[in-house]
Amino acid sequence: MSSVTDTLPTRPTRSKMSDEGFISSLVAAVAISLFLIASLLVPNFFQWQNVVNLVTNNWAVIALGVGVSFLLVSGNFDLSVGGIVALSGVLSVWFAQSTEGANALSTGLGLPYGLAIACALLGALAIGALNALFVVRFGIPSIIVTLGTMMVARGIAQVITHGSQRNTNLPEAFGYLGNLSVFGTSIKFPVVLMGLLLVVAIFVERKMVFGRITYWIGANPEAATLSGIDRARHITKLYLFSAGIAGVVGILLASEYKSGFSNRGLLMEFDALVIALLGGVAIAGGFGSVIGMFFGAIILAVVTSAATGLVLSPDWQFILKAVAVFLAIVTQTWALARRNK
Amino acid sequence: MTEEQKISVLSVDGLTKDYPGVRAVDNVTFSIQNSVVHCLVGENGAGKSTLVKMLTGALAPTAGAMTVNGKAYVPTSPQEARDGGIATLFQELHVVDELTVLENLTLGMEKSRFGFFVKSDLEDRVTQTLATIEPAIDPAARVSTLSVAQKQIVEIARAASSGANIIIMDEPTAALSEREVARLFTVIRRLRENNVTVIYISHKLDEIFELGDTVTVMRDGKHITTCPLSDVDGRAELIELMIGRTVFQSYSPRGKIGDKVVLKAEGLNTKLLKDVSFDIKEGEIIGFYGLVGAGKTEVARALFGADTFDGKVIFHGKPGGKTPKEAIAQGIALVPEERRTQGLFTSLTIRENVPVMNLPRVTQNGVFKAEDVRAAAEEFVTQLGIATSSIEKHTEKLSGGNQQKVVLAKCLFSQADLLLLDEPTRGVDVGAKTEIYEIIKDLANEGNAVAVFSSELEEVLGICDRVFLMFDGCLQEEIENGPNVDIAHILNVVTGGQDEDAR
Repeated sequence: MSSVTDTLPTRPTRSKMSDEGFISSLVAAVAISLFLIASLLVPNFFQWQNVVNLVTNNWAVIALGVGVSFLLVSGNFDLSVGGIVALSGVLSVWFAQSTEGANALSTGLGLPYGLAIACALLGALAIGALNALFVVRFGIPSIIVTLGTMMVARGIAQVITHGSQRNTNLPEAFGYLGNLSVFGTSIKFPVVLMGLLLVVAIFVERKMVFGRITYWIGANPEAATLSGIDRARHITKLYLFSAGIAGVVGILLASEYKSGFSNRGLLMEFDALVIALLGGVAIAGGFGSVIGMFFGAIILAVVTSAATGLVLSPDWQFILKAVAVFLAIVTQTWALARRNK
Repeated sequence: MTEEQKISVLSVDGLTKDYPGVRAVDNVTFSIQNSVVHCLVGENGAGKSTLVKMLTGALAPTAGAMTVNGKAYVPTSPQEARDGGIATLFQELHVVDELTVLENLTLGMEKSRFGFFVKSDLEDRVTQTLATIEPAIDPAARVSTLSVAQKQIVEIARAASSGANIIIMDEPTAALSEREVARLFTVIRRLRENNVTVIYISHKLDEIFELGDTVTVMRDGKHITTCPLSDVDGRAELIELMIGRTVFQSYSPRGKIGDKVVLKAEGLNTKLLKDVSFDIKEGEIIGFYGLVGAGKTEVARALFGADTFDGKVIFHGKPGGKTPKEAIAQGIALVPEERRTQGLFTSLTIRENVPVMNLPRVTQNGVFKAEDVRAAAEEFVTQLGIATSSIEKHTEKLSGGNQQKVVLAKCLFSQADLLLLDEPTRGVDVGAKTEIYEIIKDLANEGNAVAVFSSELEEVLGICDRVFLMFDGCLQEEIENGPNVDIAHILNVVTGGQDEDAR
């Protein structure tokens, strides 16, 4: 019966979900299933508060994942975000510390807090500009460039903190933003910012010229240029965008801990990359979505926290993560190939 | 007949290759004797490349048999072809720049045991082969220091020392200077003296008469003749064999061409182009006809701002755009030569491909108006007759003709008033071809200017009002299309012939 209606030339409808929608749903389904499995195994796992925690504990990595996903979709890597998190945090502390400290580590530039974070953000954007310069102007592969700037950023942070921390002589306002709770709940301001960022990113990705240009460039750079798209300009914007997010994350983390620590955000660039890949963003570019990346982050969070709940030694966490990543990526490849057969 | 008769090293019997809807090579039978330079000629699309691909194992024949060195020959890869005795010199060179000449020559032939190289006479052998055909090249030199011509000779030496006694050369002189061509010919003659048979493919007829012993002419996939070149009475007869009387002229003057000059190009020079000047008028379809490598694509890309060049392009009285973005903004659109790698976003849907070149038309404040995007895609699917179940279909799943229509739709959506179409119907089936021609004519009738860059004479003579003949980066001649066009003359010009020769 249905076959008759199927073959009729009907008005083109959007009955078929896009491949990106399909993968995002798949990732979401995997995340939820994993959560349910973990609930069976781990006592007290199945709680609303635990669901909230999975998101709020990972706000930093999810936020970084947005910039990294956009760049991946355009066919470029950004491994510098972890280093930028350290750099901007350390810079915001150093700029805000008062000038008369007892020793070098407690003496800063004494800028007003607002100016201090603005300058720290500029420092982060400078790293983004450096990425863009080398990738776009000199045509160096982005994986190499951002590996380099990752070390540059963390290196500067290390010099400023003498390889340690700066946490004294800070103005009262410094710890405000990172610890601000909103709507009288335990949810903190940075988490709300991350939520806003996600919503905006999804809108930009689906509905805006800026988002679609990112996909066009990733899908076929040469055709994009011949279609009148200024690739160099767009990729520059993407690197600035990603570095800007990382800068804000660094500033908020520094505020939360009231310290600038040169090792903060260590390996975060890899976590951001992993959740994007888990979420179905294609490493070759042209495919993926921020929603998928978000559920990728949830998968990683469930695996990690379930492992902790099972009193598994922390030494095993890397292996668990690795297994989750391989399984997720193999499943996606298989499912997409099957669907498009 | 006599003991002097040379033995046949290669023979093909009833060789046929079918593509969906097209028979590229049709029941071809001929044989080649030992130690000759055998030329293979025909127009673009005559089936030469398909034939060569079957000889090198890149394509499997639909029917027919091949015999090489007296043995049945069924290669499935270039490696097997080489083992069977056939090596190929492609247009793109396959030498490793970072290694020395000697290392290149022995690459892949080294004997090893437990991962260590075993000393053998291999090096002496290849050095000797190289010395026989070109003593001027030092085996210890790094290949990156050699010229293109020398690299080519290294590759020939590699083919010869690998034991192949038949070497196929596909347009080997395309990138060479005159002096280098002379040296290559010397090398080819030495090969012939050393019992190597060369199958030589070229569009340059002068080279064929200078170098060849025997020739096979193909036309429309069919074998026309195989004979000694001494039996062919000059260029004129060879051209006649190549084209027959088959060029079908469907051109009818449209009589609607305006006087207003839309685009003027003055003295375009690039690495390949030499002082190219022309103009295009409103409502006119002009054609650029020439063989592969004549510089057609370079002209199109220069006009579109995709490549840098010296010279001037004036579009609507203003200097032409320096980048594709600027050119599109001015009203120029390009359908590029390679639709899959340059024209389409194959992993995206029709709906997502259509609006790329004119985003302001379907957006407001940087946000897409989804309904307008859909309407635009639907409109072009209907208008151009794109055969698809939905605008949500990925363009990689469309046929070649429908893909080309999507690229056209992209350009039409940009509302350009000058369309540059580079090989608009390459790899497109006959039905879609006719439809694309109708679209082009409609566009011109609406007052747009269209430039068609094509290596198919039938296409150019079918739709263009004026045709520029190109050879080796130069505009050789401008002809008005009409019923009295002299096809033999055109082919003579685009193969590098002088005017006098044609008469």
